[in-house]
Amino acid sequence: MHMADALLSPAVAGVMIGASAVAAGVSIVKLRKEEKTELEPTIKKLPTMAVMAALVFAGQMINYTIPGTGSSGHLCGGMMLTGLLGPYAGFLSMIVVLLIQCLFFADGGLMAIGANVWNMAFYGCFIGYFLIYRPIMRSGWFRGMGLRGANRLKIIISSILGCVITLQLGAFSVVLETSISGITNLPFGAFVALMQPIHLAIGLVEGLITAAVLMFVYEMRPELLKDVQTDETVKGRASIKGTLISLAVVALLVGGGLSLLASSHPDGLEWSLFGNREEGYAENMGLDEDDYGIASDMADSAAAVQDKTSFLPDYAFAGDSENPAGTTVSGIVGCAIVAAVAALLCLVAGFFRKRKRINEQG
Amino acid sequence: MIRFENVSYTYPGADEVLHDISFSIERGEKVGLIGANGAGKTTILKAALGLIQTTGTITVGGLPMSRENLSEIRKKLGYVLQNSDNQMFMPTVIEDMIFGSVNYGMSRDDAEKKADEVLKDLNIEYLKKRQNHRMSGGEKRLAAIATVLTMEPEALLMDEPSSALDPKNRRNLINLLKRLWDKSRITYVITTHDLDLVLDTCERVIILNNGRIAADGPAEVILRDQALLEANDLELPFCFAGR
Amino acid sequence: MNKAEKAEREILAIDGMSKGDSAVHRMSPLSKLLLTIVYIVITVSFNKYDITGIFIMILFPVVGYVASGVPVSTAFWKLRIVLPLVCAVGIINPFLDREILFYLGNIGVSGGVVSFITLLMKGVFSLLASFLLVSTTPVEEICRALRQVHFPKILTSLFLLTFRYVHVLLEEVSIMTDAYHLRSPGQKGIHISAWGSFLGQLILRSSDRAGQLYDSMLLRGFQGEFYYAKGRKSAAYSWPVAIICIALAVTFRFLNIAAIFGGVII
Repeated sequence: MHMADALLSPAVAGVMIGASAVAAGVSIVKLRKEEKTELEPTIKKLPTMAVMAALVFAGQMINYTIPGTGSSGHLCGGMMLTGLLGPYAGFLSMIVVLLIQCLFFADGGLMAIGANVWNMAFYGCFIGYFLIYRPIMRSGWFRGMGLRGANRLKIIISSILGCVITLQLGAFSVVLETSISGITNLPFGAFVALMQPIHLAIGLVEGLITAAVLMFVYEMRPELLKDVQTDETVKGRASIKGTLISLAVVALLVGGGLSLLASSHPDGLEWSLFGNREEGYAENMGLDEDDYGIASDMADSAAAVQDKTSFLPDYAFAGDSENPAGTTVSGIVGCAIVAAVAALLCLVAGFFRKRKRINEQG
Repeated sequence: MIRFENVSYTYPGADEVLHDISFSIERGEKVGLIGANGAGKTTILKAALGLIQTTGTITVGGLPMSRENLSEIRKKLGYVLQNSDNQMFMPTVIEDMIFGSVNYGMSRDDAEKKADEVLKDLNIEYLKKRQNHRMSGGEKRLAAIATVLTMEPEALLMDEPSSALDPKNRRNLINLLKRLWDKSRITYVITTHDLDLVLDTCERVIILNNGRIAADGPAEVILRDQALLEANDLELPFCFAGR
Repeated sequence: MNKAEKAEREILAIDGMSKGDSAVHRMSPLSKLLLTIVYIVITVSFNKYDITGIFIMILFPVVGYVASGVPVSTAFWKLRIVLPLVCAVGIINPFLDREILFYLGNIGVSGGVVSFITLLMKGVFSLLASFLLVSTTPVEEICRALRQVHFPKILTSLFLLTFRYVHVLLEEVSIMTDAYHLRSPGQKGIHISAWGSFLGQLILRSSDRAGQLYDSMLLRGFQGEFYYAKGRKSAAYSWPVAIICIALAVTFRFLNIAAIFGGVII
């Protein structure tokens, strides 16, 4: 669900950069604090963070066959990094992964980096850890199954729940950010109705892969995982009650988004358009082989409302909106001139380069 | 130079990997530390560097292993890792080379001057500006040795230096070690399975078997002793095997 | 070629280009970074119906690519990731926003069509700009520029360290993928029975690798500070050029130069 620069207005992008920067700042401060209490200096974490970030990046290139569908899914890795590194180190590592994707693969955009960090890293690492992973891992669930059995089940549940819920939040944020930016004419409700189910499927697959990977790590080297109970006596701070409360909070957040969807009723034309398009999405589900498939579906869905629900007006400089100057004949002529200038520039440069080459040879 | 007395070590949650090891390596000695997989070779190097905490006494260059002496000891010993990728973590070779020296208080310009000297010594000036991810295995190994030599260690500890090297690069490595020793009588310890390499570069051999020292003596003698080698899951060097 | 290997090649290609030499390469990294960000922000901020106003922004990337010698084709290849997404968001506009804005001959052009094209331009231009930045500026230089504006050290160090190991791990994943497929003909991806162990094994090995990496840092006296060699000297014209470009971009934003020129000619 990487967002491109074009899908955001500078104001929204700026706000998201601010929010992500605050989260990053908190993470850095918290890591420094941990350094004092854990006796494990940040510089010791740095190599682990770097190698794991590189691993998540490389791991995204692996295709996983989804049984019974013939299609394949892949991993985004936010929840996995959280399980391995904890929320703060995981968040910083995810930022780096997203930066590399943005710079080298044009996945996302420089200006949209804040929004992407928020949608993918913040939810995956912070919500995923504090509201889902940690409470479940520290809870006394499945006590009857013995330590290993209980831990295994808890890993599975927290991975799947974590991925599904954080992806739902991320998808909802994408809709929100695009809508507020006023990019498309798509109604907010329809947009949400598209995004959430797609990401439910993506989240499930991601959750299953994450669960499988973390289970393997648990079997082999349990000490690599955060918050795994190692002895029979449950001394975790979180109780079932606490877990349920935090889950309820998450449910409220998601539910709030969904109710927003219910309240805005798109009109007939829009629905018919969507009816058709939706089938295509479901087919694709973002689970096709090409990993950019997800992005493109999401993109599809990223068509949002402009007028009805935009909270902020189209970000524009003063005096801009009344007269879209481009609609006049002179504007069109002007564009032709610009195009000609651009073409000329390329031609001239090509000419000089050729001559330079000839000179060098001669 | 390096002295182990009754050193034992157990990895957390595993069997003992070093049992009561005692040996002493003098300045200028060329030692091959050989043994089958899992015999404890790398663990000995790590113990000498203070990367793991053992029982018994270890002294390096007259300094007993302790928290205060740690950085001094590590400066005396240059450790070349088995996997050069894990050793070279900076973007380019020259940045990796000055990394250690600057951390130990040298100025950047001096560090770079020193690095230039080393590169020239090793005949790999062309690698100076190269990015670490754009080198072949052989180039990486040479560059890794260069990063260690820039810190002017008194002894070199090399973990499987010839692994993943082609014959030519292996030959380069052997010549390099010979030149280094001729020039400065640097002490070096090599752990390896490559007994021919040991024969070419070392005077003394220590055989490790299951964390114990099984033999310790001149290379020429030990490496010809087929019965002893086979008892320790090793084989004669190819040049003696008559193949 | 598997996906990991393709990714590695793509990174290496850009990385190689960034080491080139041209008027753009020689500009100071910070000036390029600032210019790129300002350019993207201004481009994206154009009104969605201002199709002639935004069009002139194409001149910046054109000049940049021409002056740097970076092949535009590579940049367009990158578009395959961004463009479908942007298209998908925009394609709905012509259907929903049918108010005719102006006529081209007899054909009425609706607001939706205009806003769709504008959105595409925004997507293409901003990608061209950020791609020009990375293909003319090595990552170390970008990080140094970020440090100059007091970007947290831990993030730049982490970025460079990660970038170093991305190569190593992509190679490992690539080898593992090949090895897997050699023993499982006809499978498109990793079978569910190996979902955990495939990446799990790599995690275990990577964790060991991180340990060794830390050892290697410790042995060389690491105390939390990385020292990077000085980059090449940036050209004296960096900042003047960057400031002129920014000024031009701002001017273009408020004055529809294309329309003015067109008007003069007519």
